[in-house]
Amino acid sequence: MKSKKETKKPLLEIHDLFASTENLTILKGVNITINPGEIHAIMGRNGCGKSTLSKIIAGHPSYEITGGNIKLSGTDIEPLEPEERAQSGIFLGFQYPIEIPGVSNLEFLRVATNARRKFLKKEELDTFEFEDLVKEKLEIVKMEPTFLNRSINQGFSGGEKKRNEILQMALLEPEIAILDETDSGLDIDALRIVASGIKKIANENSGIILITHYQRLLDEIKPDFVHVMANGKIIKTGNSELALELEKNGYEWTDKFIDKT
Amino acid sequence: MQIIEEISKNRINKSASGSMLQKICLDKLQINPLPNHKSEIWRMANKSKLARFLDYKLNHDFYKPNIPYENESQNVIRLIIGDNKKINIKEQEWEIKELDDQKILNLIQHKLLESDTTQNWSALLNHLLTNEKNICGLNISGRNLPHLEIITNSKNNLFNSRTLILNIEKNTEVEISQINLGDDNCSLSNSSYLYLGEDSQVNHGIVSYGKYKSHLINSLNVFQNKNSVYNLGSLQFKFDFARLEININQIEGNAKTNIKGMQITQDNEQISTYAKIAFNGPNGFLDQLNKSLARDRSHSVFEGLIVVPRIAQKTDASQLSRNLLLSNYAKIDTKPQLEIIADDVKCMHGATISQLNENELFYMRSRGLTLEQASKLQLRSYYQEIISFLPISKERWDLLALLLNNK
Repeated sequence: MKSKKETKKPLLEIHDLFASTENLTILKGVNITINPGEIHAIMGRNGCGKSTLSKIIAGHPSYEITGGNIKLSGTDIEPLEPEERAQSGIFLGFQYPIEIPGVSNLEFLRVATNARRKFLKKEELDTFEFEDLVKEKLEIVKMEPTFLNRSINQGFSGGEKKRNEILQMALLEPEIAILDETDSGLDIDALRIVASGIKKIANENSGIILITHYQRLLDEIKPDFVHVMANGKIIKTGNSELALELEKNGYEWTDKFIDKT
Repeated sequence: MQIIEEISKNRINKSASGSMLQKICLDKLQINPLPNHKSEIWRMANKSKLARFLDYKLNHDFYKPNIPYENESQNVIRLIIGDNKKINIKEQEWEIKELDDQKILNLIQHKLLESDTTQNWSALLNHLLTNEKNICGLNISGRNLPHLEIITNSKNNLFNSRTLILNIEKNTEVEISQINLGDDNCSLSNSSYLYLGEDSQVNHGIVSYGKYKSHLINSLNVFQNKNSVYNLGSLQFKFDFARLEININQIEGNAKTNIKGMQITQDNEQISTYAKIAFNGPNGFLDQLNKSLARDRSHSVFEGLIVVPRIAQKTDASQLSRNLLLSNYAKIDTKPQLEIIADDVKCMHGATISQLNENELFYMRSRGLTLEQASKLQLRSYYQEIISFLPISKERWDLLALLLNNK
């Protein structure tokens, strides 16, 4: 895989990753390297292991790495707790953001932002300073400030939940953002807002993994690399043209790349 | 058990106003000095903790409580039961005046004359042990009343007993918060009687906050006339042993009752809530939610009973018990029950016991919150539903902070 920022060290390196949950092996040797400034798309049939990969990178306690490793800026992240991974700069945008009644979105965002800032050795923000920052970030996803006073994701529409995820991404300024089907359940306008937000946040020092089923997100955000996953492995990698071919021919077309052994 | 000894040896000082009634209480308690542990409402009670509750010297004197905030608001009337201050206020839109002894007797005697000693043991004990100056009886009428804050407190190494009787007149709307403060190594017996007149509304909050080895038995008796609305929010925590016994009687039906309560236990504490809601007429409404949270080796108990006799057609009642078990050694017993004779009713009950939600925890941790921070936020969300139902402002009683700073 050729990087467009060859002089920089890789941000995320996934090497021969095997992982399982409840004694069931889901990932069977995944290899991906993401360099600063790159956007990667991972596509594949339902159940091929895309979401599992995202959860394993984020440290979900229900999954276990049984082989290989994941390195963030050269450091193995396996020993890290989910919060340590997040503080180090890994962000997972959930396919189904969790509703947490009774916990104010504003307070949650402030605690999360300060946890990341503390890791970055930046000064933590008090309530007033944080409100200024969050209002600025709200613009990116075109959200009203009233969202902040509601409970986390409670009563949010599908589009609002996804925008809230991107707002969190904007506040946390991750090194690597993994967006798991961020486009699912969005109408055209909401998709454009979310895609525009992602593009505004993306920068030459961070990397993005877009997990998606559809070309429509990739029309808005052009990936540098597209990977096709099947049966717990990356079976084909290409550029954005690969996504167009998938759209045209379906996943059956990629079956010939599956290593039957 | 010092108190039982006082009762058996007939050494209780009777009050002037209630001597006849107190004699009845004494007679009943001399026959049954302790509640029947085989009965439904006492079988879960920890016997040694109940014995400890009864093992302090009876105290009638007033000790100023250590209240964690000053009363600076014009919109709050604060009463501390036992401090001997008289309250008789008449304004253009409302009036609060003290009830005379005869009226107090009339209001409470039918409860105390109930034949089943097991069912009203707590009320009998309270009435027997409470002297005149520790009884507060008020008649409340009108609208736009100031918030009424009633404090009962106990003194360490003593047994303290307080009684509150509130007669809420027709068309009255009032907010009442009742704060029961436990002290180190002490017992507090508290009985409250609320009579809601037709078309009245009471938003009632009960906060029972103990200290080291505090004990509390709190009996609440509410009588609702038609078209009245009674909203109760309750919170009990930091008591070694505490019971809240809620008895609600919709005298003629056609009334609404909303209850949201919570008990938090830790260490070796036992905190219980018993709720009996009786519909004695048609079209009654109840929405009750009781939450508990148990840590360490503590024990939390909820028993609920909805009684719907034949006369109470079209009753709409719900009683739910939701419980959070935060330790492998903690214990939760919950039993919401229905007793329905009427055939045209909508009644439901249910109970859940769970642990902290793993998906919510992971979501918050994936944003950089530590497990401790995420757990605290999740617990706050669990509390919030109850806290927000209490008619007590966060500024005046920062319970939330107290709760969240605790472990």
